[in-house]
Amino acid sequence: MATQTLPEFISEITGLGSFGVAGEFVAAIVGAGIIGTIMLTYTGIAGPWAKRKITAAFTDRYAANRMGPFGLLTIPADALRLLSKELIIPERVDRPAFDLAPLVVAGSALFAFAVIPMGSLFGINMQIADPEAGLAYAFAVASIATLGLTMAGYASANKFSFMGSLRAIAQNIAYEIPLVLTGASVVIFAGSLQMSEIVAAQTISGGAEPLFSIAGLGIPPWFAFVNPFAFVLFTIANIAEVGRNPFDIPEAPTEIVAGYQTEYSSVYFVLIYLGEFLHIFLGGAIAATLFLGGPAGPVLPGFVWFTIKIWGFFLLTQWARSAVPRVRIDQLIEIGWKGMLVLSFANLLLTAVIVGVIA
Amino acid sequence: MNPWIAVGALGVVSVVIPLSMMLVSSLLRPSVPEDSKRTTYESGEVPTGGTRIRFNIQYYMVALLFVVFDIETVLIFPWTVIYRSALEDGVGLVTVLAPMLIFIGVLVVGLAWAWHNGAVQWSRDPQASETQ
Repeated sequence: MATQTLPEFISEITGLGSFGVAGEFVAAIVGAGIIGTIMLTYTGIAGPWAKRKITAAFTDRYAANRMGPFGLLTIPADALRLLSKELIIPERVDRPAFDLAPLVVAGSALFAFAVIPMGSLFGINMQIADPEAGLAYAFAVASIATLGLTMAGYASANKFSFMGSLRAIAQNIAYEIPLVLTGASVVIFAGSLQMSEIVAAQTISGGAEPLFSIAGLGIPPWFAFVNPFAFVLFTIANIAEVGRNPFDIPEAPTEIVAGYQTEYSSVYFVLIYLGEFLHIFLGGAIAATLFLGGPAGPVLPGFVWFTIKIWGFFLLTQWARSAVPRVRIDQLIEIGWKGMLVLSFANLLLTAVIVGVIA
Repeated sequence: MNPWIAVGALGVVSVVIPLSMMLVSSLLRPSVPEDSKRTTYESGEVPTGGTRIRFNIQYYMVALLFVVFDIETVLIFPWTVIYRSALEDGVGLVTVLAPMLIFIGVLVVGLAWAWHNGAVQWSRDPQASETQ
């Protein structure tokens, strides 16, 4: 069952498909622009506004409430303020690595959204592409951000930045393996790396058997219900991968100023900040696709459910930011290499054995 | 449509968006360079020494371990894709499972060895432990 992706839909209704590959590429650019705009809008709401409001709610304050309804006009005001700041380039930085790092961080996070199935909106399937290696692509592109953080930290020629980027690398590589291995345990169920197949294997309309039925309503076999242990492991590894509390030691403000972004100002700072928030949404999107049925859900359109799920993950990271203390570097390494890695291997093998015995 | 055309299009968009933000910012922002403004930030003090400082060897050890395990996850992926369909096609459970058990077993032995040698144990600063 191949559903039409967003670029295919655009190329069909505009007739661009008849111009061959060039026409298809133009249609794909339009589709990619739409998806990019949606994700940047979410990030724009999350970064300057929702983050403040959520933290304020946890700490019993009001936060932004002066500009516009609920302080929502803070968003354009902040965008203008940050873009019009002076760009200070310290004299000892290594260029062009210093200038490329923000581009890599922000660009790679957006790039990975290519394969995420965002569900249908007004009957249009909001997915840019659905290659057979979808999941491998998502994991691969999501981890490019580590390279950007390394460049940022090393090229800044600042001791805080350097420490921050070392910590970022150690953290990302330690939790990358549990993340991918728990992802692989889902692939055992679904039998495919294609994102649409993984979603179809979790939804009743996609042909999957209901997990069990309550009063005639079938509970869909979302992999979070089928294997909750893998879901918990994946969520922890995911939070570490996007560098949020309790795993935020790469930028630990009370220890190393701002980590790898210490020397960044103006638009460069905006891009790194943007990349981090895009990365949170990306983590939420991958978790939703693998474990929460992607855009599946009752009544509302798929795209709305997708939005609810990724904002749910964002809310989780913000809750952890207010509620969970930060781990130390030695604890981080031990949790990663001694705990998560062993547990994720156990999860993979147990999943394989159980699936093998049942099938 | 070939899906990689669309992926490439998003690649173009995800470079153009940051670049256009940089362009907009360069039109808006002032530029008032000053010597003291352009020094490396070190909490307001005059910066001392270089940045290419010695750092904990442990960062290197975990990076080496990562290379091994990352390649291994790449090799596990194809197996997970065909696992279920192979079982449904009537291939025996032992035939499908045993090679992967041996493969992961070898890696786990490697991890145990690294663990035993303290590669995943954060090494402490010797001076810090003396003072305790």
